[in-house]
Amino acid sequence: MVEQMNSTAGTRVAQAVQAARAMQPDGAVADIALLLEGTYPYIRGGVSAWVHQIISGLPELTFAIIFIGGERKMYGAAQYQFPPNVTHVETHYLLDRDEPPKAGARKGNRRAFSEMGELHAHMRRSGQMSGEDMMSAFAGLGSEGGVSEGDFLYSEASWDYITKQYRERCTEPSFVDYFWAIRAMHTPLFVLANIAGKLPAVRAVHSISTGYAGLLGAMIRLRRGIPFVLTEHGIYTKERKIDLSQATWIHDHNDDVCNTLHDEMGYIRGLWIKFYEQIGRMAYAQASRIVTLYEGNRLRQIADGAAPEKTLVITNGIDLQRYQAALEKRPDEIPPILGLIGRVVPIKDIKTFIRTLRMLVNERSDAQGWIVGPEDEDPSYVNECKELVISLGLTNHVKFMGFQNVTEILPQLGLVVLTSISEALPLVVLEAFASGVPCLATDVGSCRELIEGSGEEDRALGAAGSVVFIADPEGAAKAALELLNNTARWRAAQQAGLARVKRYYDDKLMFSSYRNLYMQALNGAAQPLSV
Amino acid sequence: MASIGSEIRKILERDSYWSVLRAYGYAGLVSGGPWVLSILSIMMIGVLAVILGVAQKEVNAFQICVTYLMAGSLIWTGGMQLMFTRFVADQTYASDKAEVLPNLFGVLTVTMGGGFVWAAPFIFWSFTGPFFQQLLLLSNFIILSGLWINLIFLSGMKAYRRIVWTLVRGYSLGVVVALMVSSWELNGLLLGVLIGHGYLLFSFLHHIVREYPGRSLIKFDFLRNRRSFYSLFAVGTLYYLAVWVDKFIFWFVPVTSEAVIGPLRASIIYDLPIFLAYLFILPGMAVFLVSMEADFAEQHERFYRAVREGDTLMHIEHRRDRMVYAARQGIYEIFKVQGLTVVLCLLWGRELLHAVGISPLYIHLFYIDVVAVSVQVLLMAILNVLFYLDARREVLIITACFFISNLIFTFATLHLGAETFGYGFAASVTLSAFLSLFILSHKFNRLEYETFMLQN
Repeated sequence: MVEQMNSTAGTRVAQAVQAARAMQPDGAVADIALLLEGTYPYIRGGVSAWVHQIISGLPELTFAIIFIGGERKMYGAAQYQFPPNVTHVETHYLLDRDEPPKAGARKGNRRAFSEMGELHAHMRRSGQMSGEDMMSAFAGLGSEGGVSEGDFLYSEASWDYITKQYRERCTEPSFVDYFWAIRAMHTPLFVLANIAGKLPAVRAVHSISTGYAGLLGAMIRLRRGIPFVLTEHGIYTKERKIDLSQATWIHDHNDDVCNTLHDEMGYIRGLWIKFYEQIGRMAYAQASRIVTLYEGNRLRQIADGAAPEKTLVITNGIDLQRYQAALEKRPDEIPPILGLIGRVVPIKDIKTFIRTLRMLVNERSDAQGWIVGPEDEDPSYVNECKELVISLGLTNHVKFMGFQNVTEILPQLGLVVLTSISEALPLVVLEAFASGVPCLATDVGSCRELIEGSGEEDRALGAAGSVVFIADPEGAAKAALELLNNTARWRAAQQAGLARVKRYYDDKLMFSSYRNLYMQALNGAAQPLSV
Repeated sequence: MASIGSEIRKILERDSYWSVLRAYGYAGLVSGGPWVLSILSIMMIGVLAVILGVAQKEVNAFQICVTYLMAGSLIWTGGMQLMFTRFVADQTYASDKAEVLPNLFGVLTVTMGGGFVWAAPFIFWSFTGPFFQQLLLLSNFIILSGLWINLIFLSGMKAYRRIVWTLVRGYSLGVVVALMVSSWELNGLLLGVLIGHGYLLFSFLHHIVREYPGRSLIKFDFLRNRRSFYSLFAVGTLYYLAVWVDKFIFWFVPVTSEAVIGPLRASIIYDLPIFLAYLFILPGMAVFLVSMEADFAEQHERFYRAVREGDTLMHIEHRRDRMVYAARQGIYEIFKVQGLTVVLCLLWGRELLHAVGISPLYIHLFYIDVVAVSVQVLLMAILNVLFYLDARREVLIITACFFISNLIFTFATLHLGAETFGYGFAASVTLSAFLSLFILSHKFNRLEYETFMLQN
């Protein structure tokens, strides 16, 4: 599962980089351009921490940071200090345009729109496109020869195309909703085309998700023929589907008469989902390697259209040294304190954690629950959680601690708890293991692999905690109680965690795998476009 | 628009010839009221003053003065009128009514204060009459500059009934005062008009201040939106310039005019028929109010509601068709009723001129003027539809065409001879009406495209 570490990999990749630099005296601003959608360096979290770790861990390579956000106002100042090997930084917002095209009536290029029609028909039929089709589609995007952004937004040809599609396909009544959905869906593509065109020379691109960042990677690949590597932590398309199925900004026009149809998804909601599936496929098609964190996600990627031979798993790793001190600081007894380390957002299902505490306190009145993580992302959810604490009478048992240094928090905890309804490979579990804290996590992402092990050898190390169902406070409380009250079991879990993280999740393994990956990419730079 | 529309509809629903007649009569009074009442009262002052022994020369001077004051103040405030109407509409849409009143005082400061700044030196320098007379002319001009703003603002509030009754009282007061002090001759008559207009200005203001809340005294926010500012200002100014430019040409070309008072000149052959003709736009104005302000406005509102509230494209197109139908019907109705008016004027024009004591020599000029002002009602109706569609650029093109063609054609008729007088104005307004019809049709054809694709 984990690529074997090669001790000479570092020097080999450095040589390859030297060779590439010598071959292309092209004034490239960096070796690798990281394409980051809505994460590093503006948002703290697992993915951002990982990005920072990779950059810092591979100092022999230089990196360009290409950040893509929605709106400027959603992001504050950069949260990370860039390591010295970050040589170029760009920040783009898909919804705030610096220079939107001037509004004005125009005819538009009808030939380009009819080509677009063929492309759409093609996507509807098979979901796969040939590299040449995609090349021509993206070459035309944003240029005068094809569909320019001004043409898309303002031309008669565009209007005729959109209304024709609406008449032929849209099964929902609201034209204005359809119209704006189409606009909102496509305008970012022009921004991406623009970013792809203006990006200074780099030797390879590495996108840290599919979605818009993955599409940008595919565009850059098609335009410049440079290698494109894709890493997915969570499965972007799946996350978008969860968001979209709950999004209240899309109105499903289900009327009261046909109640039986209520569980059918609205046309526009479905359109958005298909859109994200489609751009995900484009990224998969163009990427030379498709990396994910654990086996479950790899299978999911294949199901979503990734070619199996391109996929590989590189798990996260952590710097064990860093947590050694935390391990040594631990008190002898087991503190009856459950810690949830993560952002206070619905996907972490903080409410289930609070309800778990209620059950637990009924059994052990000295139990405590600490919620450690930033609270600025979804203030209304934070409020709901705080009110839940009050209404369950847990004000003396549950603490909201905000963002904290985990190495100082971990020694004080008896259990690290994750109640998330979706996770990939949560770093906090590895950090907990390395600090000698067992984990209690829902059966999402790679949590079961982390706690119980994957493969025989791994399983033999034992369980480093418990796996519970999602949204099951009773089960979680029961599992927590078993660990806290049974010292022998707790100790065994602690040892299993320590052993597992040392053997499989050392960051040195991860760095060497990425070193290899980048080296392959940079050596293959001269290869022609593959489909 | 809802109130006047529903009021008229209520009368119409009684379903008899008498009720139809009453509905249109009411609408006519409401829409043509200010114009007709002012012409009628100025004429009445003239006729009665002559009976009371004021010299005909003085009465002529009075009428010319008032005409210039009207023309000057309308051209001076035309731009501001449109700009401010737009500002009020935007504020009302944004539910920010408290901003309206301070800005009304802002507009009044600009039009009245600004009017004083340029009119005072002009009047004191170019009129040789006594100081009291100069002061009267200046005050009249400033009061009118404020009055037009208030009048268009109240029209925007759809307070038609109040407008009409206030106008009746104000002009009656003006006529009475003018006649009481008619022994002061020109000055007395000017004082009467000043008091009448002053009464109107202040009672309109009184009504507005009572209706609108306000937190601060004066603001100039209406000047802030530069882009719509320029085009609307240009449209308002150009429209009034276009309407008056042929008159000014006839007043200042020596062969067709004579000096009356100070720098003011008049053209006896040109003025009387055209002002008389303007009285015959009343039927068209009535139809305009009923079909445009009521029917079209309602269909327009429904179209945009269908767009905003998420109807299907097919239904949006259906609403567009209904709106186009309402506009077409309105234009067609105006065409019919003004056509009939023209025919009646052709039949009884001679008797009419005779009855009001105008020489039958003017009959052909009167005929063509009736045609021209009838087409002008049509043009106004189409411009109104274009305003509803927020086609500012198109309206600017049409008013520019109106102004330039009136200027050129009127000069051309001066060269072609007396028998073509009036045809310049008629040809210009007809050309502009055709142009506006063409533009409107084009606009309607692309309405959904422009509404969706070009709105930002």
